[in-house]
Amino acid sequence: MPKPGFHGPLIRVNECCWRIPKSYKPGMRVDGLIYSSEEMIQQLVADQAPEQVANVAFLPGIQHASLAMPDLHWGYGFSIGGVCATDPSDGGVISPGGVGYDINCGVRLVRSNLFFKDVEPHRKRLVDQLFRDVPTGVGRGGKFKFTPKELRRLMVEGPRFLLGRGLAVERDIEYTEAEGCLEGADPDNVSDRAVERGKDQCGTLGSGNHFMEVQVVDDVFDEDAAGVMGLQKDMICVMIHSGSRGLGYQVCDDALLMLRGVPERYGIELPDRQLACAPVHSTEGQHYLGAMRAAANYAWCNRQLLMWQAREVFASVFDRTWQELQMDLIYDVAHNIAKFEEHAIGDTGEIKKVWVHRKGATRAFPPGHPEIPPLYRGIGQPVLIPGDMGRASWVLVGQAGSMEQTFGTTCHGAGRAMSRTAAVKHAQGRRIDHELAARGVIARSQSWKGLAEEQPAAYKDVDLVVEVVHRAGLSKKVARMRPIGVIKG
Amino acid sequence: MHEFFEHTADLGLRVMAPDLNQLFAEAATGLVGMIVENLNVVQLSRTVEIRIAGTDLEYLLFDWLNEVLSKFECEHLVLADFQVKVTDEGLTATCRGEPLDRERHQLGHEVKAITYHGLTVEQTADGWLAEVIVDI
Repeated sequence: MPKPGFHGPLIRVNECCWRIPKSYKPGMRVDGLIYSSEEMIQQLVADQAPEQVANVAFLPGIQHASLAMPDLHWGYGFSIGGVCATDPSDGGVISPGGVGYDINCGVRLVRSNLFFKDVEPHRKRLVDQLFRDVPTGVGRGGKFKFTPKELRRLMVEGPRFLLGRGLAVERDIEYTEAEGCLEGADPDNVSDRAVERGKDQCGTLGSGNHFMEVQVVDDVFDEDAAGVMGLQKDMICVMIHSGSRGLGYQVCDDALLMLRGVPERYGIELPDRQLACAPVHSTEGQHYLGAMRAAANYAWCNRQLLMWQAREVFASVFDRTWQELQMDLIYDVAHNIAKFEEHAIGDTGEIKKVWVHRKGATRAFPPGHPEIPPLYRGIGQPVLIPGDMGRASWVLVGQAGSMEQTFGTTCHGAGRAMSRTAAVKHAQGRRIDHELAARGVIARSQSWKGLAEEQPAAYKDVDLVVEVVHRAGLSKKVARMRPIGVIKG
Repeated sequence: MHEFFEHTADLGLRVMAPDLNQLFAEAATGLVGMIVENLNVVQLSRTVEIRIAGTDLEYLLFDWLNEVLSKFECEHLVLADFQVKVTDEGLTATCRGEPLDRERHQLGHEVKAITYHGLTVEQTADGWLAEVIVDI
């Protein structure tokens, strides 16, 4: 089957933004807006991602535009890197596809008081012990067991529940987006099958693009912001990328099953079944929201437990407590989520509460926003952008432009440049782990294929992606992080 | 027969078979083959029956693959042999395999879900063709 490209109109709006006018297809309620660069926009039209941006514009109640970040790539239904906001008072819908299967997939970054020179002599042992102690890969359960009753509390309370178990400290909660808890989570809406899939997976990394990395601060672009976060050049950090594991996947799957035939019943016409949705105020919409919030809270617990295990490994390798190592959480962001937020809409700037769907996109609230912790209110919300395991990841802060243009949102990663099958072909006869070692990265994975699919060449250059959001004023560069050790499924 | 096709972030599965029964059986083999790469070593020591109601062939394929995925995800059961009978009301299947054994089973992808995106089941000149994209 030939790979279909995008042949519709793309009108350049400015240096960083292209428009798909709503006249492109009957049924589009708003324009599509794609943030990109001259260099990357050429790659984008090679597949169906722009078409998917246009399709999202069909959703009832959508405000302003169907938006896409520069790490945009072809997904199913929604593109990855997509953002849309719907107004419930204007018939707005909630769409599980706009959140994704991995509900509250996200990233957290932990600092330390160790520097590259301190870790270098112990690096191999550190990475090996992380790989041994932190569960990774297909079907691996974790060491944390929860009874069904405890799991219900965990889904309602998020990481705050773990305080009582001695697996979190107050500071961890404060520096997690939404303090790790979306109110209104309803575990009754989470199916038995979802609970079954997730019951022993809280505190496990999973596979695919999820990872835990030991990183070093490679370059600092904003000394003030970095200082506030406690980051300095050559400092060692840990970045964790994972989500809601089997529980979240199943919640999304259950929702899509529940929504079969529902859009038609509400008279909603959609160009793709995977965009299935229901009005926010409908029974179906409310049911999904209750379950989605529960899965999101579970995901925050998952990353909390992954961080906890990383702290234990560091403590063991360096023979000091994690508190002595000052392994404090810098921040935790969600990049697959729907949040009910206040935004100024359109030319009139009317303030509305809208459901912002971020499907592979990160919240990036600017300085002064009341929803960010007081410590960061002067610099803007930290934004964590994982790149590929050979090049870099980034720490940014939200900027005012995000509120003006993208419902307080920026990019979420590098975005794939190569399909998984193409990446495996590209890796034939190669030892990706050896290549990474030559670049100064110790990589441990459960499978050769896992590394092959996630090799650096399979991703766009994250620096280019970050450059766009920086120039567009959505978020600002603070620090570039270089991986020195990575564990994967 | 089945093959994998490109989809940027995920993995596509294309299946061709002379009839619907074999199409559905082959699709399940393709799915489990994404998760466990050496299906040839799976012993057929356990048997499970799966029954699914439905008349829309695309939804039926979706529900079928979902059920097979769920056997792995919830019961850690690696199924490798499928006898499927598609009827007017849905399908019945006898599936054989064994519990996951990390020593012997070489694990590949974690399949998050079967998606509806580009889901097709259609009759061709030679038999039947199905395509499905799974989220990895």
